[in-house]
Amino acid sequence: MSDYSIGIKELDTAIENIRKGSNIMLIGPPMSGKEIILYNMMYQGAVKNENAVIMVTTRESATHILDWFKESGLALPLSRIGIVDCVTKTLSGVAVETENIKIASSPVDLTGIGVKISQFFEEFFMKKNIQKTQLHINSLSTILMYSNIQTVFRFLHVFTGRIKSAGALGVYVLESGMHDEKSIATLKQLFDGMIEVKSENDKNYVRVTGLSAKPTPWFEYEIEGAGINIVGK
Amino acid sequence: MIETGIPKLDDFLGGGVPKGKSLVYYIQPGVEGEVFGMQTIFNTLKCKGTGVFIVSSTSPDTTRGQFKEFGWNIDVYNDRLFFVDAYNPLIGAPSKEKYVVLNPDNIENFNKVITDVIKELPPSTIVFGSLSTIMDLCGEKETIEAVRNWNKLAILYDHIIVYNFTAWPYSQETLDLLKKEMFNAVISIGGIAERVLFGQYFGILKSDWAKETKKSMLFRVLRPGGIKLFIPKILVTGPFDAGKSTFVHALSTRAISVDRLGTTIALDHGHVEYKGFSADIFGTPSQERFDPIIKLISGESMGIFLVVDSTNPTDFVRAKQMLEITKSYGLPFVVVANKQDLPGAMTPEEIKVQFNLPSDVPIVPASAKDKKGVFEAFEVLINKITGGI
Repeated sequence: MSDYSIGIKELDTAIENIRKGSNIMLIGPPMSGKEIILYNMMYQGAVKNENAVIMVTTRESATHILDWFKESGLALPLSRIGIVDCVTKTLSGVAVETENIKIASSPVDLTGIGVKISQFFEEFFMKKNIQKTQLHINSLSTILMYSNIQTVFRFLHVFTGRIKSAGALGVYVLESGMHDEKSIATLKQLFDGMIEVKSENDKNYVRVTGLSAKPTPWFEYEIEGAGINIVGK
Repeated sequence: MIETGIPKLDDFLGGGVPKGKSLVYYIQPGVEGEVFGMQTIFNTLKCKGTGVFIVSSTSPDTTRGQFKEFGWNIDVYNDRLFFVDAYNPLIGAPSKEKYVVLNPDNIENFNKVITDVIKELPPSTIVFGSLSTIMDLCGEKETIEAVRNWNKLAILYDHIIVYNFTAWPYSQETLDLLKKEMFNAVISIGGIAERVLFGQYFGILKSDWAKETKKSMLFRVLRPGGIKLFIPKILVTGPFDAGKSTFVHALSTRAISVDRLGTTIALDHGHVEYKGFSADIFGTPSQERFDPIIKLISGESMGIFLVVDSTNPTDFVRAKQMLEITKSYGLPFVVVANKQDLPGAMTPEEIKVQFNLPSDVPIVPASAKDKKGVFEAFEVLINKITGGI
């Protein structure tokens, strides 16, 4: 079995394998189901591949994410989950850290976010001896609302490098249509591949580029509950 | 002179920071270094001084909450603690602070507010919570010019200026200016990295008032408590009769071993103080039945010495096995090629080939019974742990 996978059988079969140390951009329009794809990767990584998963959230609070999994009937192994919550303190001013949740003060505080990511890496790798870790950042678009492209590039330059040296997997979500082409091209330099999502005529499609010899075909998919079903090419 | 309140750092700085001086905490990304600025300002307040905190990446209220997380009650110093709010205007929120930077992405606006603070307030400890955020918003060159100006004004008005700076990959020119030219003192705050960051240290890169020192200290950040120093554990492992106990005793200022018939059956323990760095050394027994001990101590160690008998290549298989046990923890390690004084001893290069080790793995020749090479090996390992500060 591969160390890392997307959690959508047709895509995983098409790309065969995600190499250790890969950094992947997950890009698509708003409300196309990117988040469900990301949560599926999180579940697949923690449950099926027994990886540690670190999620940096700038959109939803950590408790909201954990509630989503509970309500969807997906039991996450919490000992393998770490969430860096960049939302709660900004909204309510009060937030308490737990074993699974670390609080960053705001999406502007890239230094603080970086510290919390490093702390989770250390905890999983050194204290829990879990050798495979996934880092998910949802989303770069929110971070880009507060910081300029050079700042975000520098931040990602450091952490994509750490992903490589740790043999981990990084997944970074970006909203298409929110940023100019130049910004996206700048960020693309840091990634090994992309999971692309598009919406056409009320239908959603997904494909993977850069992780296999040639891009996979576009697969049409539907969201059923918490799952992603491929319904055609 | 103002004390930073950070254990050992004030000793390294000859008592603290003199008035009119500038100091930067130069922080590796991912390392919890911003607490250094907070602890410095809190100690100023505790010593009846005035403090100014410039916040750029979080709101003043959130920062007040962070002080409380460390157990530092700043409410009693409200009359001597001032916040400069350069965050709320950035996100379009109102500010209730006296000093507000209305356009935090405009260095001129920043300059005006900081100049007002410097001129209006009595001699204070002025701490920039995140210089890197200002640089990100206002530009590298523009910020550097402004910092030069603030540092000059601080001399005139007897302030101390302290900057937290996260060393993201800015241009090399900018990083060199910060490390070498712009400040009276540079305190490096780094992480011990192998596959992940797993320990933190600080040390003085530069100080123009204290005698130069190359000392560094490992620290942890406690809530409550702030910065606390700790002594790292270093593991000594290797096959039977490689000379582990002799190595531990040769390196340590004091050491004890649990032996039976000349063989270690529990642990060697020693403590080393060398060139300002101190560590506890643990030597493990070599028999396979003790491998769980190696695993246990590896999980809490900062680095590993693998001691091998340079005259006995047949034991290298076991040595490699022991290395694999410890390597899974991703710790920095150094191979000690012991018994170099004996005839037939293989050279480090020959051992590297036999071991099939990558070229960047250090192998240090040694003769532990004569105390030769042991401190060289210690230095190599410490350099690997701290990145050579």
